[in-house]
Amino acid sequence: MALVRIDALHKHFGSNHVLKGIDLDIEEGQVIALIGRSGSGKSTLLRTINGLESFDEGCIEVDGERIHPHETDLRALRQKVGMVFQQFNLFPHLSAGQNVMLATRIVRKMPEAEARELAKAMLLKVGLQDKFDAFPDQLSGGQQQRVAIARALAMQPRVLLCDEITSALDPELVNEVLAVVKDLAAEGMTLIMVTHEMRFAREVGDKLVFMYQGRVHETGDPRDVFANPQTPELAAFIGAIQ
Amino acid sequence: MNDISTWDIVRNLFDGAVWTLALSLTAFVFGGLAGLAILFARIAKHALPRRLALGYIEIFQGTPLLMQLFIIFFGGSLIGLEISPWIAAAIGLTLFTSAYLAEIWRGCVEAIPKGQWEASASLALSRFEQMRHVILPQALRIAIAPTVGFSVQVVKGTAVASIIGFVELTKTGSMLANATYQPFLVFGFVALGYFALCYPLSAYARTLERNLHGARSH
Repeated sequence: MALVRIDALHKHFGSNHVLKGIDLDIEEGQVIALIGRSGSGKSTLLRTINGLESFDEGCIEVDGERIHPHETDLRALRQKVGMVFQQFNLFPHLSAGQNVMLATRIVRKMPEAEARELAKAMLLKVGLQDKFDAFPDQLSGGQQQRVAIARALAMQPRVLLCDEITSALDPELVNEVLAVVKDLAAEGMTLIMVTHEMRFAREVGDKLVFMYQGRVHETGDPRDVFANPQTPELAAFIGAIQ
Repeated sequence: MNDISTWDIVRNLFDGAVWTLALSLTAFVFGGLAGLAILFARIAKHALPRRLALGYIEIFQGTPLLMQLFIIFFGGSLIGLEISPWIAAAIGLTLFTSAYLAEIWRGCVEAIPKGQWEASASLALSRFEQMRHVILPQALRIAIAPTVGFSVQVVKGTAVASIIGFVELTKTGSMLANATYQPFLVFGFVALGYFALCYPLSAYARTLERNLHGARSH
């Protein structure tokens, strides 16, 4: 059974119908690259998966945790879904280590020492084991984003959502973040990424989902889809970004 | 009335100033606690507590403090409650302070970027946990200077309690002015008394603001 199931999902922003019936199944261990123009609904779709956006019709299920339209109790779902943001969103009043520990301490009620060990392990995983006590404003953008990944991983999510996680980075910092994501993919983490890094999507992605005007317009293996797009809209999109 | 010396005036005013200080502290401590509760209601997820809190804030910001004291003091005796001027003044100033502080703090909470809410929500923190561990610690930093600044308004606001007969600095002043026929001298001292209470607070607020602007984020 699919780890993430999205069923006939509809969402409106006022009179604007932004998601027009999305059906998408994501298997455990898959790396999904969500692409499309701005306004195509790809970020909105990603954000509905952990309840940051509500939806009006349809259903989302992650690892057996089902949510319906306008659900308000999202804690169980959010413990299964991690998220990394474009703007990092680290907590500026906490050190890198405390950022990673916070949710395990509060939500998982993990004892201090255990949470600290876990946080160290997570920082080691993203190559920042020596930055435990550094504050976010003492870190580069790439380092901050790696801390944000470690923070999400500490909750041991079943699936990790990445919302344009390299878009706010200086070009020379992009690769260190993508390298971390690539390692996660290799370890079998289920990833859903909204991305503009087409080369990365082709290299690491298992499935490419092209969104167009609120619909899933075309999906397929990234290597095939890039070489041989089936719809003129995707062909135009690929043409425009290359 | 030559038997009241300048020293007597100063000594009596000092006693009055102690009550001004006591009233200010009471209003500030209880007003702060109540203000925190109103803040939570003001930014609640549900519309009802939000509206109630807004109504509360607008009533206390939209009417003179003096009327609020009159209503508590005279309204109390109307329904058979014997309320002393001290209690009436403490209640009135506490309510007044809570409404203003709730509104000041709401501004500080809303100054925290939306991404902080989203990041903490996606880590499965409850709304209360988000406030407690992520939003308030950051909002507190930017709230300190305006909060200390507002405490000056509370100290000066206590003067209206003199009208319902609470003997603090202003009331002591008017009694002394009547007894000595030296209103200029007496109220000069009264003004100095308020200045001595308020100036350190506003100077401190200014220092905090300066430090905050030049400060790192931790």
